[in-house]
Amino acid sequence: MTRDRIPYAVFTLIVAAAGWYTDNPYYLQTLTFIGINTLLALGLNMLMGYAGQISLGHAAFYGIGAYGTAILTVHWHVSPWLALPGAVAAAMLVACIVGIPTLKLSGYYLGMGTLGFGMIVNILFREWSSVTGGASGFVGIPSLELGPISFSSTKNYFYLVWGFVIFSFILCHRIINSRVGRALRAIHDGEKAAAAVGVDTAKLKLQVFILSAAFSALAGFLYAHMVFFISPESFDFIASIRIVTMVVIGGMASVWGSLIGASLLTLLPEWLHAFSEFEMVVYGLILMIIMIFLPKGLTRGLLDMFERARKNK
Amino acid sequence: MTDNNHPLLQIESVSKAFGGLQALTDVSFSLTQGTITGLIGPNGAGKTTLFNLISGVFPPDTGTIIFNGTGIRNKKSHQLVSLGIARTFQNVELFDSMTALENILVGQHTRTRCGMLGSIVRLPWVAEEEKKARDFAMELLDLIGLREHAYTTSGDLPFGWQRLLELARAMASRPQLMLLDEPASGLNIVETMRLGDLIKKFRGQGVTVLLVEHDMSLTMEISDRIVVLDQGKKIAEGTPRAVQEDEAVIAAYLGTSKNKADG
Amino acid sequence: MQEFIQYFFSGITNGAIYAVIAIGFSMLYNSTELINFAHGEFVMLGSMCMITFFGSMHLPLIPAIILAIVCVTAAGLLFERLAIRTVKNPEHIVLIIITVGASIFLRGLGMLIWGKDAFSIPPFSSHPPLDIHGAKLLSQSIWIILIFLLTTVGLQLFYKKTLTGKAMEANAISKRAAWIVGIPSRLMVTLAFGLSATMGAVAGVIIAPVTMCSYDMGTMIGLKGFCAAMLGGLGSLWGALIGGFLLGILEAFGVGFVSSGLKDATAFLLLLFILYVRPGGIISSADVKRF
Ligand SMILES: Nc1ncnc2c1ncn2[C@@H]1O[C@H](COP(=O)(O)OP(=O)(O)O)[C@@H](O)[C@H]1O
Ligand SMILES: [Mg+2]
Repeated sequence: MTRDRIPYAVFTLIVAAAGWYTDNPYYLQTLTFIGINTLLALGLNMLMGYAGQISLGHAAFYGIGAYGTAILTVHWHVSPWLALPGAVAAAMLVACIVGIPTLKLSGYYLGMGTLGFGMIVNILFREWSSVTGGASGFVGIPSLELGPISFSSTKNYFYLVWGFVIFSFILCHRIINSRVGRALRAIHDGEKAAAAVGVDTAKLKLQVFILSAAFSALAGFLYAHMVFFISPESFDFIASIRIVTMVVIGGMASVWGSLIGASLLTLLPEWLHAFSEFEMVVYGLILMIIMIFLPKGLTRGLLDMFERARKNK
Repeated sequence: MTDNNHPLLQIESVSKAFGGLQALTDVSFSLTQGTITGLIGPNGAGKTTLFNLISGVFPPDTGTIIFNGTGIRNKKSHQLVSLGIARTFQNVELFDSMTALENILVGQHTRTRCGMLGSIVRLPWVAEEEKKARDFAMELLDLIGLREHAYTTSGDLPFGWQRLLELARAMASRPQLMLLDEPASGLNIVETMRLGDLIKKFRGQGVTVLLVEHDMSLTMEISDRIVVLDQGKKIAEGTPRAVQEDEAVIAAYLGTSKNKADG
Repeated sequence: MQEFIQYFFSGITNGAIYAVIAIGFSMLYNSTELINFAHGEFVMLGSMCMITFFGSMHLPLIPAIILAIVCVTAAGLLFERLAIRTVKNPEHIVLIIITVGASIFLRGLGMLIWGKDAFSIPPFSSHPPLDIHGAKLLSQSIWIILIFLLTTVGLQLFYKKTLTGKAMEANAISKRAAWIVGIPSRLMVTLAFGLSATMGAVAGVIIAPVTMCSYDMGTMIGLKGFCAAMLGGLGSLWGALIGGFLLGILEAFGVGFVSSGLKDATAFLLLLFILYVRPGGIISSADVKRF
């Protein structure tokens, strides 16, 4: 076992232990949501943290994953396990078509292009009611089963989702620490220089956009088969912004940052229920305060604080 | 290819304008394989613009550029790197958040193959390729004397070293033609001498160099030929000695009067 | 024909509103290169203040408007002072997330103060609508267009005639140069935040009688304004005007001739179209990079 595998092995153990010892279905469900959000954040982090390309419309791919599997399994009676590659491929195809013209943009124009795309897809979910169920949502998405294992049990679903998360972590880790990953970071640091040393920036940006769409669609698939009911609000502009926030709050260009950002943004609303009507105010304040005091995100920020504390001793 | 007098790069009546500003007008010259050509001229003469044309940042308005016998008009920057053209920038453009080693590894992008899938599956050839790339990168770091700083973030290196690192990064693509845009600016005397040695060493390996540089003593010493641009036009071309005695060149330089044309 | 004129009226009314919001975005962008995702919330605050001052407290129209604008502008200044200025090494994306946080905070605040219900107020005056070839132009539409004109002319005078305005423009063109001639760019940024919030407030005030106002109205209208600013070309005030009216008019005809469900899609389809064919907006300024 090489050294860089140790954190992932430890992490796998922690996840397994968490699944083993948690019996409260509410906790299990919350942890499962963290897993789904981690997939979303991880996908966007590949695009934003590593390649430096913003997307304010990623909830669209999340939605395509969820609606894709809903339509395939309910309307077309396809097995969910076939619907998974189907929904992911659909998202990847859309990402390819949208990405080619959109990724030529940069900065705010790229942000706006992806935002516009996200809004249009969301409006499609809402208005194309004969297929998507419209604003009232899509009901009756089946639960997952694999031979004798039923994923309608909260615990099994927890393992399924986190299995995918760990798999995705390893996948991303491998990409990041390769020729492709270096080229991505090169684009982030300077697109002009990257092109000048021979990186096909347009192609690579498109590839990573498609990859991150695939992660989002996977998250959408897992979400749909967990809650059995989906509606357009889960994939709107606010949802896109939430994914961006997870990435930035957790820490850009950090696999673990995605985990931390997703955890915080999943748990925070749960904790803040106690504040009832103050929930939104406190939530907004916390986001602002974290960004004001830890502008590099929680992962980097806390590490830096730890370092400083150690040096001061 | 092995013919030593074969022109590696031919620039034929190239012009380029930005809006109303004529940056280059009808410039022609060619580079012989394995030589160092100095491209000099006052600020704003169009030297960097010419580099941008050769490296495919934008196409010329008129005229053609021929590299190794083929026109490069429709080639993108990254394709030209694969063909064998590498460059450095007037204002160092390193990948600041990456280590010195990683910068050079990115420099080998066109000489390595592992793609998205390859990186995920990690077949044995990928590991082998990665190892070879690292070994070569270390060699290059040795060459510029930065081996101990292989794992230093390039943005944290002193400026002079950043220049050398950028040079090594360009060299990492195993180019036939190197375009160096003011590589000595910001370097101290010792570093400049080392740079001169490096450039000559590259020439020794058969690399053709087009050098833009304001440090005249360096340029005149290492160049085989000199091309002089002024206000977008070629005003002289020849051996360093001939160019230094050229009336038009002296006039152009006296006009700007800030460059010391010693020799 | 009558239908056509009717859609046109509704188009320019909405267009004026989008334009005012877009100016707010562009103005701030000019001085700070920042997009304020809480801008829509300033519009919401403007509307809700009108609901309170004009609707519930029955203040006379002009004082109510002024009071609403002053309150929102103060909120904008406070936001700059407390949240934006405190960041040490601001990276763009960090500032953007701060404005996202602020938008959630302000929405929450709106909900605390005004609850979750939607309100509306009567038009500013109760004149009957103008009848032009059978199409009706509501008195509130005339108010909206008048106030829009007043605002843009005022702004133009401010930029061209006052020293502060000129200083702001200089600062937007080159921070370094402005700093060298002694224009404090810090102050200009504060001013830009304040003025941008004022624009939001004006938009909020004029739409209060023609829309249902609630704490969560800001997101969509803010996005539309952002869209308009982008359409015209970010950072250009004329671009903001063109973008606003283009969006308003196309949207009105989109509703008229296609379907109301597609109304929101119009804005974004138009946006994608413009971005693809003319990546810098209709009046494209220099490259808008950052992030
Ligand atoms: N991308 C560009 N857009 C507009 N003008 C440019 C651009 N690049 C260079 N120029 C202009 O072209 C002229 C030549 O510039 P440059 O090639 O950089 O000169 P040099 O490198 O010889 O100092 C200058 O006047 C410069 O302002
Ligand atoms: Mg130059």
